[in-house]
Parts: sequence; C-alpha cells; structure tokens
Amino acid sequence: MKRRSAWLGLSAIAAAGVSVLAIADQTTPIRGLHEHNPSLVALTNATLITEPGTRLENATLVIEHGVIRSIERNNRAPAGARVVDATGYTIYPGFIDPYSNYAVAKPEPRGPRGRGQMPQYSNAREGGNGSNAAIHAERTWYETVTASKRDAKGYIDLGFTAVQTARLDGIFRGRAATVSLADQLPNDIIYRSHGRHFASFDKGSSAQQYPSSLMGSIALIRQTLSDAAWYKEAQGLHSANGPVEFNAPLAALASVANDGVVFEASDEQNLLRASHVFAEFSVPLTVLGSGFEYSRINAVKSTGSTLILPLGFPAAPELNGQFAELDVSLTDLRHWERAPGNPAAVANAGITFAFTTHGLDKKDDFWANIRKAIDYGLKPEQALAALTTVPAEIAGVANQAGRLAAGYRADLVVSRGDLFTDGEIVSVWLQGQEQRLKDMHPASFVGDYSLELNGQSLTLSVSGEGRLQGKLSAGETEVKLTQLSSDDNKLYFTADLTAFGIAGVHRFRLQPDSLTGFSGRAQNTASELLTFTATRPEPETTPAAERRQAGTPKYVSQLTWPNTGFGVTTQPEQTNLHIRNATVWTADSQGVLAETDIIVRNGLIHRIGKNLPTPRGYQVIDATGMHVTPGIIDEHSHIAISQGVNEGTEAVTAEVHIGDVVNPDDIHIYRSLAGGTTVAHLLHGSANPIGGQGQAIKLRWGQGAEGLKFKEVPPTIKMALGENVKQSNWGDMNRIRYPQTRMGVAAMMRDYFQTAREYEQAKADYARLSRSERRRTAPPRTDYRMETLLQIVNNERHTHVHSYVASEIVSLMDVVDELGFKIHTFTHVLEGYKVADEMREHGARASTFADWWAFKFEAYDAVPQNTCGMMNKGVLTSINSDSNDLQRRLNTEAAKSVRYCGMDEHEALKMITLYPAMQLEVDKYVGSLTVGKQADFVLWNAHPLSAYAQPQQTWIEGRKYFDRQADLARRAEIANERKLLLELVLSKGSEAQRGNSNGYRPTPPTWHCEDNHDVWRWQEFSQLNNATQSFEMLTFEMKGAH
Amino acid sequence: MKGFLGLLLFLVALPIQAHNIAPGAEAKQAILLQGGTLHTVSHGSLEQTDLLIVDGKIAAMGKELTVPANAQIINVSGQHVYPGLIALDTTLGLIELEQARPTNDMREVGTVTPEVLAHHAFNADSDIIPTIRYMGITHAQTVPQGNLVNGRSSLMQLDGWNWRDALEVGPVALHVSWPRIGLNSAWWERRTPAEQHKANAEAYQELLQVFVMAKAYHEGRLEGTQTRVDQRWEAMRGLFTGDLQLFVHADDRRQLEQALQFNREYGFAMTFVGARDSWMMADTLAELKTPVIFGYPYGLPSRVDDGYDTAYATPAMLHAAGVDFAIAYPGYWDSRNLAFGAGNAVAYGLDYQAALRAITLTPARFMGVDKSLGSLDVGKQATLIVSAGDVLDHLGQRIEYMFIDGREVNLSNRQLQLYEKYSERPNN
Repeated sequence: MKRRSAWLGLSAIAAAGVSVLAIADQTTPIRGLHEHNPSLVALTNATLITEPGTRLENATLVIEHGVIRSIERNNRAPAGARVVDATGYTIYPGFIDPYSNYAVAKPEPRGPRGRGQMPQYSNAREGGNGSNAAIHAERTWYETVTASKRDAKGYIDLGFTAVQTARLDGIFRGRAATVSLADQLPNDIIYRSHGRHFASFDKGSSAQQYPSSLMGSIALIRQTLSDAAWYKEAQGLHSANGPVEFNAPLAALASVANDGVVFEASDEQNLLRASHVFAEFSVPLTVLGSGFEYSRINAVKSTGSTLILPLGFPAAPELNGQFAELDVSLTDLRHWERAPGNPAAVANAGITFAFTTHGLDKKDDFWANIRKAIDYGLKPEQALAALTTVPAEIAGVANQAGRLAAGYRADLVVSRGDLFTDGEIVSVWLQGQEQRLKDMHPASFVGDYSLELNGQSLTLSVSGEGRLQGKLSAGETEVKLTQLSSDDNKLYFTADLTAFGIAGVHRFRLQPDSLTGFSGRAQNTASELLTFTATRPEPETTPAAERRQAGTPKYVSQLTWPNTGFGVTTQPEQTNLHIRNATVWTADSQGVLAETDIIVRNGLIHRIGKNLPTPRGYQVIDATGMHVTPGIIDEHSHIAISQGVNEGTEAVTAEVHIGDVVNPDDIHIYRSLAGGTTVAHLLHGSANPIGGQGQAIKLRWGQGAEGLKFKEVPPTIKMALGENVKQSNWGDMNRIRYPQTRMGVAAMMRDYFQTAREYEQAKADYARLSRSERRRTAPPRTDYRMETLLQIVNNERHTHVHSYVASEIVSLMDVVDELGFKIHTFTHVLEGYKVADEMREHGARASTFADWWAFKFEAYDAVPQNTCGMMNKGVLTSINSDSNDLQRRLNTEAAKSVRYCGMDEHEALKMITLYPAMQLEVDKYVGSLTVGKQADFVLWNAHPLSAYAQPQQTWIEGRKYFDRQADLARRAEIANERKLLLELVLSKGSEAQRGNSNGYRPTPPTWHCEDNHDVWRWQEFSQLNNATQSFEMLTFEMKGAH
Repeated sequence: MKGFLGLLLFLVALPIQAHNIAPGAEAKQAILLQGGTLHTVSHGSLEQTDLLIVDGKIAAMGKELTVPANAQIINVSGQHVYPGLIALDTTLGLIELEQARPTNDMREVGTVTPEVLAHHAFNADSDIIPTIRYMGITHAQTVPQGNLVNGRSSLMQLDGWNWRDALEVGPVALHVSWPRIGLNSAWWERRTPAEQHKANAEAYQELLQVFVMAKAYHEGRLEGTQTRVDQRWEAMRGLFTGDLQLFVHADDRRQLEQALQFNREYGFAMTFVGARDSWMMADTLAELKTPVIFGYPYGLPSRVDDGYDTAYATPAMLHAAGVDFAIAYPGYWDSRNLAFGAGNAVAYGLDYQAALRAITLTPARFMGVDKSLGSLDVGKQATLIVSAGDVLDHLGQRIEYMFIDGREVNLSNRQLQLYEKYSERPNN
C-alpha cells in the first residue's frame, strides 16, 4: 500500500502545477492578496548522495523556503510537511555548469572583415572603456540576467540547477554571474553577482584590427594585466603627462588575482599558453578544456589549473567512400578512440575538474558520454564531483550549492536508479520547486488481467513496449483490441463485445487502485456504462543493474608526443658515441677531414681525430664512406608557430613574441630533422615595420614548446622594410596605415626608437624622485612595446630585418647609426650585393635566399650570386629557408652558391651552419664540429652539398632525433595502426558516427612571411578559398608570400 | 671573416654583353664539339666522343671525327653534352612578376576557357627566360592556368624573337584541372564533409557537361547541323580528331581514378599532370600506359602520415613499375631548378639515365617532337647543352654552351649582368 500512496500522492502534486514561488519576492510591493503557499516538503525513504562518496540510504530530505532545512537519517517527516515518498529513488545535489552564456545578453555578430573592408584601428570610446574593443573586463554580466525558460530547459533536462554565466565574447569578457535555472525574478536566481572574470584569446566581435594573431592576444593580455597592476598604484596620482586617466577595465581587474579567471582554451597548447601568461601575474586560472588534455597531460597537470571539461567526444572521421581514409590522419583516428578517456586521464593525473555541457553538439549525448567516460576509466564519484562540488567552487557558490546539506539551496536531482549506471532523471528541484521530467511511478499496463464484466470472466492481455496491443478472451473466443493507449495511470481501448454476447462496440477505461487491483468502465454507443474490476498479478521487478564502475579501456592506438603518426613514445637518450672513419666537415678552421673519428661525450663533441680508441661503453657508428656535418641552422623559419605568424595590424608590435606560440606538434619539425636541420629561428612575419620577437628552437621532436626552445640564443626581433610593410599588395582599402612609403618607414623607425630612449629617461627620472615625491607621482607605466624597443636600442635584442632593395637597407643603417645602435642581421636582403660595402662598414650580417626572385617588384633585382657578392665584400652571409619545404634541404640551397658563383664548398656549408650560428650569437655552442660544442650533427650518405646526399641520422646534443632506418620501420607501424583503427571505425557502423561533428583539430596552415590574415576571422578565408577551390591556385598564391 | 675575403671571385667566362640579349644567329659553318662525354639519353653515355653540327642538325657523333673544312671547333673534353632540357607544365612567358598584375597573363576569367592559347600571350622578351636557359633548359611547355577547363598549351623554344618565332609546336594539349574529390581539412574550412562532397560532385558534373557539349558540337559540325561557331567547343574539336591531347591536372588518387574512368568513354590521348598520388597506383598507370608528368620532385608530403620523402621517391616508384613518366618543375622563374629536381629523384632511388630521360626525351615525346628533339641522335635538331659537370647536380652543373636548332644561345641574363655590374664596384 505504501507504493500506492506514492503513486497517487505524486501525481497529485504534478496535477497541481501551480507556480509556487519558493522564495518570496521580497522587495516588490504586493498589489493583490498576500499569498503564502506552504513550502515545507519532505522527501522520504530516499537514497541521498549528499556529496561525492557520501551515500545515505532510507533518509529524508526536508526542504522549506527554497533551502534544505535538514537531512534526517530516518523516514520520519516533520509535522505539517508535504510528504513525497521517494522510495527507490536517488537524490543528488543539483548539477552546476560552470561555463555558459545562459540568461545574459548575446554578443554582436562578427561583421565581415578583411581586405575588402576599410581596416579599423581604434575602438569607439565611451564611459572610460579600454582602448581595445576586445577588453571589456568592466562588464558585469549579472546586470543583463533574465531567466529564460526555454534555454533553461536544455540544462534542467540533464539535471542542472545552476550555471555560471557570462557573455562569451572577447578577450577580457567581464565578470560572470552564477544563477539558478529557476524561472524566477533575476533578483531571486542570482546566486553570485560578481563571479570570476571570463577570458579567452579570441577577440570575438571586436572589429578592431589588433590583435589578429594568437601571439597578439597573448601580448594584449600581458599588457592589460600589467596595466591593471600599474593602475592600482597610479590611480589618482599625476604622471609625467598629467593626471592618470580613468580606466574602467583596468579598475575592474584590480583584484583579478583574487577573483580568478575562467579561460576558454581551444586546445591543450593554448591551455598551457594561457596558464603561462596569467602565472606571470599570479592569477589563478580555471580553464575550459578542449578534450585534448590527455595528449600532454603532464604539462597540463604542472600548470596547477583547474579544468572545465567538455564532453563532446567526436564522431568518427568519415570513412564511407572508397579511399575516404586518404583524408583521414592517424592523429584524428587516435583522438576518436581516446577522447572518451580524456576525463579519466585528467582525473588520474590528479587534476581538479568540472564538466560542462558547453561544446556538446547534442545535449542528449551528455549522460551517454559521462557513462562512456566511466567505461573509459573515470570513477563515478569523480564524475559526480565534476558536476557538483567542483563546479560549485568554480562558480563561487560552494557555500550554498553543490551539496545536500542543511542551509544549502534546495536544488536537487531525483533519479530512478543510479545516474552513472543507467538511471534516469525523473525530476529536478529548483529552489525547492519540483520540475517534473518523467512520472516517478509510471504505470505499466502490460500483463494479463482477470476481468469481471457483466458477470462474465474475461481475460485481458496487454503486451508491447511503447505501442501497445491486446485482446480480450474467454475460452476460445478472442477479440482484438483497437485504439489502445495509456497516459499516466489510465489505459484506454476499444473492443467489440458482440462475440461475448454483449452487443456493440465499447470504449474502455482502466485505472489502477492498488498494485494488483484495477477498476474500469466500458461505454457503448448508446451511452450506457458498464463498470468492472480487474486483477493482475504483481509484475516481476527487474533487479537493479549492477552499479557502473570505472572501466579499463583497451586502446589499439598509440599515444605519442606529439600524438601523431611520427610522434615518439620516449625522448631519445643522450648517448656517448664514437663515430668512426667519416669525412668530417667541421665548418671551422680545421676544414674537411677525411677518414676521421669523432667522440661525443655527454652531449658535447669531446674529441676529433684519426684512429681514436673507443672509450669503454661508447656506442660505435661505423661511418666509412659517410659524411658528417654540423646540424643545419636556419636563420629564418616560420614552422612550429600557432595561429598567426604576423601581428601585422599596427605598424609597431614589438611586444608580441613568437616564443609565446611555439607549436611543438608541427610535423615540419620532424620533416626538417629528416633534412638535417637542427636549429630553426622562428620569426614573426613581415607585415609591419617592427614586428615581433623571434624564438630560436632546437628541433627536439617530442618535447613540448618549452623543451624546444634554444635558450642560449640571445633575444631577437623581426623588423621589416619595403612592399610588405607599406602594404603595397594589400588592395585598395589598406592605404591608411602609416607608413605607405619607404620614406615613411625610415621616419617611423627614427620616431619609435627615439621614443624608446625617452621612455627610458622617464623611468630613470622616476627612479630618482624622493620618497615624498613618489607618493604624489604615478609610477611610469610599463609598456612592453617600448621595453622591447629599448632592448633593441641598447643592442640587447638582435634585429633580423626583412629587406629587399638597396635604398631601404642603407636608410635603416643610416637611421640607427644616428641613434647609436646597430642592425644585427638583414634577412632576405636580396640587393645586399649592391650595398655590401655599406653593410660591412655598419657591421651588419646577411641571410638570404639561394635563388628566389621575380615574385614581386622589389625582388626583381635579386640574383642567385647575392651570397658571393656579399661574402666577397666581407659580409657574414647565411642561407635561410623561409619555407617549410626548403628547410628540409638547405644543403642543396647552399650548393646553389657553388653552382652560380663558384663558392668554395666548405664556405657554402658554413652558410647553413657556422654563419647562421654566428648570426644567432650562439656559435659558442653550435654551428661547427669543434671540440666543446654541442653534438648537433648529421650523417650523410654522400657529399653533403650534392644533389645525391641523403641525411641518414640527425643528432642533437648526443641524442638521435632522426634515423632513416627507424623512420622506414615507423612507416610500417603507422600503416598497421591505421589499419586497426579503420577496422574499428568501420566495424562500429553508425555507432561510430555518433558524437560531435567538428571534433578534430583543423590542419594548421603553412605560414609565410606575408601571411597576414586575422586568425580570429576564418569566414573570409572560407569564402575566398571555397570560391577558387583550387589547390594549384592556393599554392601559387602562397609562393609569392615572402 | 678573413675566410670569405680570400674567396676567389668567380665569373662565368662570357663575352661582355650589352643589356639586350639577342637570340642566337644561324651558324654559317659546321660546329664540332670535340672530346666530350655525350649523354645521348637514347643510347647511353659515350665518353670522349665528338659531335658534329651541320645546318642545325646533329650530323655525326663518334670518336675523333674528321673535321670538316671551315668548321668551328669547340673543345669540350672533360665536359658533358646533353640534349637540351625540356621543362613541362610551366607558365614561362605568361608572367613576369607575380605581384604585379599587369605582368600576369596566366589565367582567363571563367571556369571553362578551352579557347585560350598560351602562346598568344607568350612574351619572348621576358627577362625570366634567359635565366632559365642558363640552367640548361632549351624548351618549355607554357600552360594556361585555371580551375576546370583552362585552355591549350604549346611548346616553346626559349630563344626566339617573338612567340611565332619561338613556337616549337602548338597547341599541344587541352588542360583540365580535375575537380577535387577528397575533403579539405584546412583551418578555415567550415563546410561539413557532406557539403564538400556536394560541391565536388557539382564541379564534376559541370566538367562532364563540358565534354557532352564539346562532343555534340563536334558531331554537329561534321554533320553540318551545327552552323554557328562556338569558340570554346571549336577549340576542343582536336580532342575528337586526335590532333589535341588531353592533359589532366590531378593529384589525389581518387581524381586519377575518376579521370581514368571518364576516359574509358572518350578514349582521348590523356596524360596526367602533377599526379602527386601516382605512386599509389603505379601498376595501373603502367598497365594502361597512361603517361604521367610528375610535378612534385621536391614535394612536401601531402598527408601527415606519409613518409617525408614520398614525393622525392615517387619517380623511382613510377620507374620501377614501368610507368611512362616525365618530371616537371611547375612554375616560372623557379622552373630553372628542373635538373636538380631530377637529381633529387636520383638521390631517392631513381636510375640516373631514367632521370635524364624524364627531363629530355620523354617530355619531347609527350609534346610530339621526339623525332627532332630530346636526345643526341644523328639527324635530330642540334638542340643541346654542354655542362662542365653533371647537369643534375648543383656541384657539377655549369652550362658552358647551349645550342638550339644549331644556333648558339647567349647564356647571359639579367641576373648575371647585375652581378657583374656590382662586381665591378670598387672596394671602399
């Protein structure tokens, strides 16, 4: 009888359906009657999961006025409480999504931008806003909150009761609010008005040019955080040029280190980048992850960031058509297999994380994916924590939500069965009010009934799932039922009873009175009613499924660093070596040594000589017939850079840093190793006169971004002259940015470097102030742009200047001579042969192309004899690639100087080894095979400059990073792994196609000097490129981009 | 720094040139190249062998040939003689400076432009061309660019007064850029796979329609029912009469397969150009005897799971399977690296003689001029080059002489002249 009452009681509440305000509207004057609905409710006999890992059986949850009044460890409800029998049900704390844009104003759409539009360099100013339109940290999104029943439903259906929400637009997006999903007054649903700051790298709807690249966004964040710290000190004081301005976003960020930031990262590399830049200002981060965290889990762990994980596991790559796999990489196949294991990987690493529905294509997949994550190794209580206590912390409501405890919000999830196994949510309580999703006790009418009708004993049989069918029978006589349907607790059908001796077609209604007893009535067409009773044996209850436990997935895919076919599972070991009997191209004064041995010890070149004894324990390489050269060094490279090589928006962007966006996953690192290259100097592009800071890397394939960095290289920067910086080939709209002429370029250089000197002076002036004067004076604002220029002026940061024609080269040297510093290296410098005397006199070095010309007007006087022309005049010259293709074969690029102007072969080799090392100021460490230098070298099967040379092995610091034989073996493994994964996908059929449709990383572009699109605006490229859709055309366009 | 000051200034020994570089004049006498290594391509390499040029033709080859009266004797002992290199799939003469639009005549507007003839825009006075000759290339196929049916190409000799003078043969082929079949996964691509497949299929339908029209037009002309002239379909009639070849630019395996399927119906003389994935179906291509002009001798892997040297090794794989192939270096100024591209194929497994053939005799045959060009054979045009060393290797190649149709070609060029000019600048 217990269950019977539950059945009736609950349906009574559902039927009531009145909007009962759980929390009184406390400040609005009452204009009608004063309503006082009772709000004391007791959910009895429930299984309560009060928090992850704590389970109370047969307990009672008492709620009143929208909060939990008490938890009773018995079945007694307090007097006067409305009782809801929750026998057989499990009650969880309501779930909290820490990342949403629920109930707040939507951003402006991103307008069309690109070279067909007039560029917008500044931000409309109003109300003390920031100078960059992507920085609106002063916004507090609670101000726009209004409940949305429609949007809330998607969350509530999954068991969510509260979300942290902000407008997801821009870089500093403003402060989030945490709100209940209840359909109530904003005043009642706002749980926390001033939540965390939301942020991302994506400038969003900002129409302003800056920043157009990832490194630009990072630099802008760095400058903004620095400015916020400065503003806190300087506010209200006078600076050298007047009173300090009012600045709303800087004021809002004053306490950002305490408030915390929720950062949207599009992949695990951006997660690491964001963590680094915010760590510089001791701002703790909570990061919206990407699902790729597992691929660099240790690095992710070491950031100490809390994560918010999306559950959008990708659908398998499309493989339907024959040879469709030609478009599918092992990288993607692996991710398809391993993405469901990401939450477990994160949990096992000990990283605190919450789940979000953000980024899930189909919200209905949410629970299926959580269960999948458990099958892939996540513990159910970890999953629960990720839905309750952790997001409550992140959303700043841990003192009122995320647990079942007295005083907490009455935000509950009631489920039939264990939710993490196969349970279903039947109702969600928001602030003490039930939102019913399913019947708590749905009647099932399936079964055989004994029916007494008009004195006859009939058997009623009902069967079927969903669509019911049935019959009435007595002995041999059978009548099929039609129009069968049921609602909450009534069964309806129609039957012609003539066969049983009762004339006419009757419409039946049957309803339960108890677990086994039913009553009903039948109406004939003459409106006569027959009443009857029926009994049915108690249906067998299916035993509850065993609770789902963390599974142990068996992957057929490998996990490598980077996680791509040619990735590695371990870093190569540093090996002590004896290379025997090679032709050694030393690239130093020893020249080329025949039949010579090299001893490598602890990563350094230890000895070079003939017939050396093998030290004990050394690995011997018999290099008879082979050649050894130093590792190749590329002065000008754009590989391994994420999301934009140019911050080519403003004319001077010296604050941006390639080092912030090194991409260790770029396959070109490996391909260049296979061409004998060991060091690449990654440069900003050439779209503006003073571009960004460079970053040298060693091609330590498999390392993360930090591990790639060649830290001994002193700071560098890219500058540029000529057509690119004056926007000659940017179309008619781009004619407003200063400079548009080579005259203007020279003037601008003079102006900015002069200003850097004055900046230095201002800092010195402040440092000299007395303590009392300092109290009245604002400290000088740190300007990273000026800081960088100052390093250049002080010869602490070496310039690498993209240049073509004679006039601009001499002009720049003229300007900097005046200002008292030196240009370090001109790069490209295609007319260097014309002004080699002037360059030598200035002390400038040169790095050029082997034979590129005629791709634009300023390259019309380029000659392939440029190297000889400069070298003969005493200018230190190197050959660079500026191309991921040429970087694989710089040896034959150097050989072109032998071809075109008869350069000595050893000198030609130095142009890609020793001389670029000197240009990077690291010839102490690398660039030649000299005792004491780092053991970066290449083994070749033939004369290293000949067309027939093939690198066999490439070593960095005594570690073998490339081996042709190992590479050939690896290809077979890749083919096999691909085969296994293809079979797995195809054998899963349509099941494999479930999931997010855009779940894979897009193929990154090949960057060129001049590629200057806005990475935050893909639309125009999509349109442009789909219009032409021609591979040839695209590659052709790119060829011109140097 | 002292090291480079000691470097010897190296200049090719050439007569001082005026800035204008005139095409070579017809020889008034026989020319005897004495004692060189003759790389005939057609019948192996002959050491210390003489080659006699009379009236623009190779008149004789042999050891210690008798010197005809008045013959000009050029001692090439220790040097290497090759047939002139032939660069296929270039835009030479159609463009001078990529980013200067007025100099760009490569691509007509529209997707179906079979009527355009590349040689009509060929600039025989291009400053690029002499730099190409400098690297041993005597002929170039100049090809209109486009996105579906691009136009017709011709083979040009690279030492002419104007295009008519320079035209070796043409038009040779109609060029079709095969519609994409695979998916694009570039960062900016936001179309779903389904949308992409649909767009690809539409482009293919457009192409099929072109051929349906062209065929109906041709038959209508033959029957006299088609009285009005349509320049587009008129330009394609050669395909049906066998006077014009079909050159299909396609890279992806599925495109190559689709084009083969397509041509089962039409039976055109079809050659693949580019053919990046040809290695995957080398046996089929060999069996069907479909010619391939491989355009990626230095290609990057097109797929992340491909070996780093897949493109490098493709010529060797095609050769091993018996595919009839040539090597091209598509481009304009950069096509001068053709010989080095062939050298790189040797580094990755291609037989040396096969590499030479892939840039001489096979291209000549593909252009339909192998009776007169492409190898050192008596009776063929005296179109040849003399290199100080191995022409495929940067360390060996130095073109000392070039003859086109027996005329000695001036090897100077704008770049060399600029270099010479500034080499004359006094030290200060």
